[in-house]
Amino acid sequence: MNPRKRDWRRAGRGGLLSLPFLFVAVFLVVPLALTIVISFWERVGLKFRPALSLTAYIAIIEGARLDVLLRTFVVSVEATVLSLLISYPIAYFLARKASPSSARAVLLLFTIPFLINYIIRNVAWTGLLGRNGTINSTLIALGLRDAPIDWLLYSDFAVLVGLVSSYMPFMIFPLVLSIGAIDRQYLEASALLGASPLSTFLRITLPLSLPGIFAAIIFGFVGCFGESAVPIIMGGVGYELVGNTITSSMDVLNYPLAAALSSLVVVLMLILMIGWYLIFDMRAFLGKILEWRGA
Amino acid sequence: MERRLSDAVPFVRSWPAWILVGLVLVLLYLPLLPPLVQSVEGGEAGQFTLTWYSELFTTPLIAQALRTTVAIALIVGAVTPVLGLLAALSIRELGRPRLILLSMLLPLFIPGVSMGLASAFLFRILGIPPSLLTILIVQILWALPFATLIILTVMAGFDPAYLEAAYVAGAGKWQAFRDIELPLIAPGIFGATSFSLIISINETVRTSVVQGAWNTIPTYVWSTYKQVGLSPVLYALMSVVILATAVLAAAYLSLGFLKRR
Repeated sequence: MNPRKRDWRRAGRGGLLSLPFLFVAVFLVVPLALTIVISFWERVGLKFRPALSLTAYIAIIEGARLDVLLRTFVVSVEATVLSLLISYPIAYFLARKASPSSARAVLLLFTIPFLINYIIRNVAWTGLLGRNGTINSTLIALGLRDAPIDWLLYSDFAVLVGLVSSYMPFMIFPLVLSIGAIDRQYLEASALLGASPLSTFLRITLPLSLPGIFAAIIFGFVGCFGESAVPIIMGGVGYELVGNTITSSMDVLNYPLAAALSSLVVVLMLILMIGWYLIFDMRAFLGKILEWRGA
Repeated sequence: MERRLSDAVPFVRSWPAWILVGLVLVLLYLPLLPPLVQSVEGGEAGQFTLTWYSELFTTPLIAQALRTTVAIALIVGAVTPVLGLLAALSIRELGRPRLILLSMLLPLFIPGVSMGLASAFLFRILGIPPSLLTILIVQILWALPFATLIILTVMAGFDPAYLEAAYVAGAGKWQAFRDIELPLIAPGIFGATSFSLIISINETVRTSVVQGAWNTIPTYVWSTYKQVGLSPVLYALMSVVILATAVLAAAYLSLGFLKRR
């Protein structure tokens, strides 16, 4: 093969291989940067035009939107902590005790409801939790309650149910990966040196699974923080979180405000993600995937 | 000795853990039942009917949304695995694997509204009107991390010694990839295809921002729910999505079993 033809081939191969990276860069990274730029634009009537204006951000700080931001933060923290408390023991069990094939099957069972449209799942929850829903009518039929429980739906409780059931299933994955990547010899050494199971867990497993915990937290927290459908379905009329405030600003064509709110979410995510990237070695838990034997 | 070492894994007795896993799974799957039941319920509770399903095909708006959903799913299911394969290869071949993997995973961490809004801005500035194309781009972006991860996981189990052997036998890079590696990682590509299809027929929030006049089934359900609330027809549509997802997941599972045999 002559050298020039080989050069062309190599360039073609490089171009083909960088296609996915370019795709993400053009259709995700550029748009996110654009969102931040547009958040400083001016709104003129129903349109928006380039400017360097803080109007949108002032509109967030002033008035009720600050409360929305605060409530979103609190609800997201609660949902993330709850999800972690549920998903960590499950991940621990799957990574440490369950056989690989049953662990794989259980993980798939967790993936399917995560992938099934969570709007459908949340709407279905309303049928279970509502005043005339399955849970209330069962309780009344059994004679356990005289009147339906009010706080099951259109409440903070319902929003938490929606958020946890939407994001918890996927948080298991980074946790399983990071717990599974811990060398068993550490645990055995710890046991041989006389450490109790509790101190082995607290001093070895827990710290070494931190990359996975942190990744799960980012996924869950940012997901909840930007969630737009759950508050509408489970919170009911007037229940506002940042996510559905973004969609309602879009509905009234206030794009700079929508962009500013969205930028807050995205910048928060970026800070957490860059922190994660700097603090943890990704190989600590993606090592199995990233390393090729002999490569 | 052997026993003591395996006891080093603290805390876990199997049966309480299985109970926890079972309980959480029940809570996750429980909400899928009411739509299935209510979609076949007639005027009175307990009465069986398929009326609502026949209405799916006779209501023009819904029939159109069904066609759109299928068309988009097929394209997303065809394009995403190819991009995912290229992404997986680029992580191995281009150097800087951490950075490339992280950017491939980025769509996972961006909330749906933010992703939809951001791409809507880009399309508006580029002058691309809301269309099938904009829906496709957003959905492929969302499915790409899953496709990449699935293919990467399968590739990690592939022994590069096979490639070395092919090179020694005189094969070029492309030939070695096509004849040796591709057949061996095919299960990963099929897995990526079924996941992409599942993601496409379920995606709502991102799609609804960039769809313009084109409804898919989930975005139709979402906008109708917000405007007029629930109806038996809506339950039937939800059931279609749930059942289609279950079928695709079962297909993926059975592929896994074929692979192990």
